[in-house]
Amino acid sequence: MALKGLDIFKLSPKKNCKECGSPTCMAFCMKVAQGAADISACPYFSEDAKAQLSEATAPPMKSIKIGTGAEEMVLGGETVMERHEKTFVNKTRYADSLCNCMDEATIEAKLAEVPKVDYDRIGERMYAELIYVNYSAEGSYDYVELVKKAAALGRTLVLGCTDVEVAKAALAVCKDSKPVLNGATPANYADMSAVATEAGVVLGVSGADMNEIYDTVKALEGLGNKNLVIDTTGATVKETFANTVQLRKAAIKDGDRTCGYPSIVNLVKVAKDDLHLQAALAAVFTIKYGSIVVMQEITYSEALPLYGLRQNIFTDPQKPMRVEPGIYALNGADENSICLTTVDFALTYFLVSGELERSGVPVNLIISDAGGLSVLTAWAAGKLSSSSIEKFWKEADIEGKIKNRKLIIPGKVAVLKGEIEAKLPGWEVIIAPREAVELVKFLKDMQANGEA
Amino acid sequence: MTLFDVVFAGNDAVFGMTEKAIDDAIAANGADKAVALPDTAYSLPCYYAVTGTKVGNLGEMKAALGVVKTLMTREKRLNDVFMSGVATALCAEFIETLKYMDGAKPYEAPCYGHLADAVIRELGVPLVTGDIPGVAVILGAAPTAQEGVDLVKSYQAQGILVTLVGGIIDQCEELGYKTGANVRVIPLGKDVTSVIHVVSVAIRAALIFGNIQPGDAAGLMKYTMERVPAFVNAFAPLNEVIVACGAGAIALGFPVITNDQPTVDAVNGRVPKSLIVQEDISKFNATSLEARDIKIKITNIDIPVAFASAFEGEIIRRGDMQVEFDGSRVDCFELVQTKEASEIEDHKIEVIGPDIDTFEVGSKHSIGYVVEVAGKSMQTDFESVFERKFHSYLNCVEGLMHTGQRDMIRIRISKDTFNAGFRAKHIGEVLYAKVKNEFAAVVDKCQVKVYTDAEKCTELRHNLAIPVFDKRDERLTSMTDESVDVYYSCIMCQAFSPSHVCVVTPERLGLCGAVSWLDAKATNELDPQGPCQIITKEKVIDERIGEYEDVNEAVRKFSQGALEDVSLYSIIEKPMTSCGCFECICGIEPLSNGVCIANREYAGMTPIGMTFSELASMTGGGVQTPGFMGHGKHFIASKKFMKAEGGVARIVWMPKELKETVAERLNETAKELYGIENFTDMIGDETVAEDPETLLAFLEEKGHPALTMEPMM
Amino acid sequence: MPFTAKSGKFNASIKTVTIGTGDKAITLGGENALPLQSFDAPFANAPKVGIEITDFGMEHEPECIQKYYEGCSTIGEIAKKAASFEGVDFLSFRLEGGDPNGANKSTDELIAMVKEVAEAVDLPLVICGSKNAERDAELLGKAAEAVQGKNALILAAKEENYKTVGAAAGLAYNQVVGAESSVDINLAKQLNVLLSQLGVKPESVVMNVGTAAAGYGYEYVASTMQRVKSAALSQNDAQLQMPIITPVASETWSTKEATQAEADTPEWGDQERRGIDMEVETAAADLACGSDAVILKHPVSVATVSKLIKELV
Repeated sequence: MALKGLDIFKLSPKKNCKECGSPTCMAFCMKVAQGAADISACPYFSEDAKAQLSEATAPPMKSIKIGTGAEEMVLGGETVMERHEKTFVNKTRYADSLCNCMDEATIEAKLAEVPKVDYDRIGERMYAELIYVNYSAEGSYDYVELVKKAAALGRTLVLGCTDVEVAKAALAVCKDSKPVLNGATPANYADMSAVATEAGVVLGVSGADMNEIYDTVKALEGLGNKNLVIDTTGATVKETFANTVQLRKAAIKDGDRTCGYPSIVNLVKVAKDDLHLQAALAAVFTIKYGSIVVMQEITYSEALPLYGLRQNIFTDPQKPMRVEPGIYALNGADENSICLTTVDFALTYFLVSGELERSGVPVNLIISDAGGLSVLTAWAAGKLSSSSIEKFWKEADIEGKIKNRKLIIPGKVAVLKGEIEAKLPGWEVIIAPREAVELVKFLKDMQANGEA
Repeated sequence: MTLFDVVFAGNDAVFGMTEKAIDDAIAANGADKAVALPDTAYSLPCYYAVTGTKVGNLGEMKAALGVVKTLMTREKRLNDVFMSGVATALCAEFIETLKYMDGAKPYEAPCYGHLADAVIRELGVPLVTGDIPGVAVILGAAPTAQEGVDLVKSYQAQGILVTLVGGIIDQCEELGYKTGANVRVIPLGKDVTSVIHVVSVAIRAALIFGNIQPGDAAGLMKYTMERVPAFVNAFAPLNEVIVACGAGAIALGFPVITNDQPTVDAVNGRVPKSLIVQEDISKFNATSLEARDIKIKITNIDIPVAFASAFEGEIIRRGDMQVEFDGSRVDCFELVQTKEASEIEDHKIEVIGPDIDTFEVGSKHSIGYVVEVAGKSMQTDFESVFERKFHSYLNCVEGLMHTGQRDMIRIRISKDTFNAGFRAKHIGEVLYAKVKNEFAAVVDKCQVKVYTDAEKCTELRHNLAIPVFDKRDERLTSMTDESVDVYYSCIMCQAFSPSHVCVVTPERLGLCGAVSWLDAKATNELDPQGPCQIITKEKVIDERIGEYEDVNEAVRKFSQGALEDVSLYSIIEKPMTSCGCFECICGIEPLSNGVCIANREYAGMTPIGMTFSELASMTGGGVQTPGFMGHGKHFIASKKFMKAEGGVARIVWMPKELKETVAERLNETAKELYGIENFTDMIGDETVAEDPETLLAFLEEKGHPALTMEPMM
Repeated sequence: MPFTAKSGKFNASIKTVTIGTGDKAITLGGENALPLQSFDAPFANAPKVGIEITDFGMEHEPECIQKYYEGCSTIGEIAKKAASFEGVDFLSFRLEGGDPNGANKSTDELIAMVKEVAEAVDLPLVICGSKNAERDAELLGKAAEAVQGKNALILAAKEENYKTVGAAAGLAYNQVVGAESSVDINLAKQLNVLLSQLGVKPESVVMNVGTAAAGYGYEYVASTMQRVKSAALSQNDAQLQMPIITPVASETWSTKEATQAEADTPEWGDQERRGIDMEVETAAADLACGSDAVILKHPVSVATVSKLIKELV
């Protein structure tokens, strides 16, 4: 059980000196309790108090940083098993993969393919953030050369290499971009750890089963290396799933700090060449505890649903996803097309825009800022009102951009009709059905009657 | 003759008849001769359901008759009457079955006789769903054919399934009234024994839809009593056999309504509510529905203009207005009143005063409407809950605008709507239909009085409405957590705050500020499976912080185990959780030994060092955060506000706007609890301080009570 | 020191519900561990995969589905073909044309098709409604009557029509009743309570607690399912212990990802592959969150998800 802010406050200096950056000790302690601030930011906590608190406030799973600059990302740091308990904080990262066992043509083709998937979805850049570069002793392509080429993509690398010397050579050409060295095994961990530590990179640990992995992590911790990720990939899909879930459970539920590291799940190993199965598994491991998921290919086909899923799963359950306010011209709408407005709650937007698209009727969908709430909630909270609409109309210069003066409003806020008409003179307000699914017929009927 | 004598005599007569019929049949065909009712898997359904034994031939039927005989006890207790009634019904089934021997077709159009299982399955679904709200069994001939047909028609119009036995069938034929299963008027047969075919419907419904095991007579009777909304209308004169059959009906839970006063008097009816005399045939319908507690869904509001939520936001401008009722200028009011069922004639709409068409275009008038309701589960506490819905009901009328509530209402009716024929009584129609439908769980009967007579409005506003409003307010303010037996949970917010549970008490409404104890209570009564559930508070753990074993249990259950225990009155020890909808958050300000409260609208900094949204992010999500709590604005002035920590005297800071909103009530509370006058003057706000040090200086200057209270931590 | 995993086995378990009759009957539920976590306790019944066809036959299907049904002209033939694909555990027939806002086909026409489908295959049947609650009240009641003796799953009773659908399917004609609610654990529970009050046996109820395609508000689906499973297992909440079935195809095949032609967005690549990935990823997420059965459309998706289940459970 994590400490409550008040318990921390009791041990605080109660000086309100602001040196930690928070205006009061109370505010600081609440942040520490939430994990949003580190106790060491306060110069006045007694050593005793700090020791007492650091154990209690340390997160059950370490947050591990990889990559640099814009590509820097955090893995792990999760505190719960399911997202409704508390936000999943650090999203699953997907790795496209290369291997020195591939022939040159394949490698070149892949290198050309990887950057193609790069798009924006509700304000988030979607692309393969990681490249898994696998080393096989039988591989004929020069591994270091391959690493160089992969690094040139500008993505963070995960080096899958258990050969200490090869790893060292590879790190020599890419360590500055803070890759992961996924190479520690029960056989080589001490040497591999030295290589990783020297290069200043995160070390991935693997083993034949959870016992081996557990012992190796313990041993590495004994050597003072806690900058780790755990490769939970087993011999089969089932084993991999069991390892990944059990690791998370041991860390979160049982507070076993040895298990408190992010995971790597390598789907190429357990579902080679079955791309659809890998896509399905990637979805499973997005929900169930994969920090890095390695896939054979990340094309738009896998990416579109997968990144959407990830965006859904890694949201604050209390903060709904929002879309940008603005005019969305659908089905080839232009300034003469009818307007329809709704809120900026992403789910509402997707539902409504989906139905509008299905109707085939050109519509200007106008999304105003409603605090990311659903229609009724926004209305009840005063965030969707005739005033909010009037305000947005001015801000976005709707009347300058659109000539049509018919506005369809959600059926659930029919009550706004009169007020909107009063505030937007010249506009005819039309009440839509209460449910989005009824929009298709509604719009088609309007079109048939020459109203839209 | 007593009821016993009549029923026993009727029972004996039918038994004798049955015995003879079976004996004759055996004599003619032998005991092995097969007998069955067609198209049923439950032959013979009634006997099988009651005893668990099937009857397949005459010999078995004879044996079954022996079993029936054992039901015919002759002690003079009510149970003997009922069992003799059941025995009579079973005899009737045997007699009717004999008619079907050798594949005979004893009934011809329009009579149906025995109904097949398939028909029951088909009728059973709408019966279970309430789409067929009841089953009427009309027995005998009405005084005149017209009265009989009118009665049938009245049930039919309500969607009630009508079955006919005896003379009424001829009366329908006489007037050419259409009957048949497709129009849900089913003539069974002309012999009184054919009534068994509708009993058989009820019983097979219990077997098929109620999953009652054959032989479980008690379960069977419970099912028919609770789930089969049937009743009997028996026309005078009643004979012994009919009375005996009626006893059977009553045993199954079906009341009998008759116009035969003399017979009922004679038998000294000792089954009140189940044997009812109604001499006026035109009231058979209403009496029957009331007796069987059948509520008819209103699917259509009888007004000349459209009714839809799309009209809710309509604004009617002066120029488009036919007439206006304005409570700010003249006397107007709207009111719900609970009455006795006998005082109400359902769906009666009265207009008292001139109608709208006598008013000049654009003129202003008084209006008052009283919606009178009655119901077994109706409580006066619901009156205000209904009343608050009037606004949205009336606004859904095309071309009608309604604002305000109580005696501060304003209504405008547009010219178009007036021209479409909308008049004062239609206001009554709308209110009647909506109240009846939406509150069907508690409203059995409803009538509306619409007053447009100015003097009457003035009188009623002052002598009727205002005293009621005052009394309600009085009740609300006087209601305390101690004065009620139960609290309510509210989990409306769990969709986005999965583990949060509000415990709503009279003095602590939901933290969204929108759900009062009365609202929660009404929600619970109207939707027993809904978001508000009863929480008992019998097992107190700690009076001081308001912790109860049963409250904890409920919270555990409704949070799916996420929350272990809560206190009602402390923000430090096991404080109640918050969902995210809270109007306000209060949090400890340690320096001044008190709490600061921030409301949602306040965007600035608080002396705690956190803004409202920062506070919200740590307090929301159904997690207990000692020292911090979300709550409604109304709660600030409550005597239960952080009672465990010393109450409202702990409040050291609030945004100015919020302070002004709650000042009057808060000052009153502080005066009552601590004898402090103008307490809010001692409380800081953003114009005084946004940091703890300046606030403390201010509090010291004012001598704020929190400074000298026990340390909070 | 070996790694010791604590058992995730619960004392409570998901109720079992059988759909269909004879050798091909399937049983959903029975597990006493969290979704797919058969390493905690063996699953009595692995999740099942169904294939969906509709009353429109191939009329509304994308080319990439149509090609699998070449030569089929009647709905019976289509049903037979659908049943023949690898990995299909049950057949789902959706009465899409019943929607009064859509084709609004007559009840007689649709019920005749239900009968034809029921006669064509011996797989367990799921009959899905038109999405219009009012129409479904009538349609699903008749469908339940039409497939008497098949022990079919009637999908679904909703808050608006549960009485009619529940009484017809669950009481009058002894089918399995689907209980559909919209991504809210409390609504799901309420509907189960209402159905049981109506007299429908809990062992004849399968829930659809809501569905969405990956990326389309899926967080609500995920959390609802996870919370339902958690309440069912750790709280032993009997009113939430019914197995969950999730229609996937009807959601995913209307998303942009699956419907956009390659010509319109060439960079997205092959449309069929996109459609399949959308379908399998959504289905996999559903299974990971707690579905005991999923309904898919593309034969490759069915085979893939069936393989996924075999690999995991």
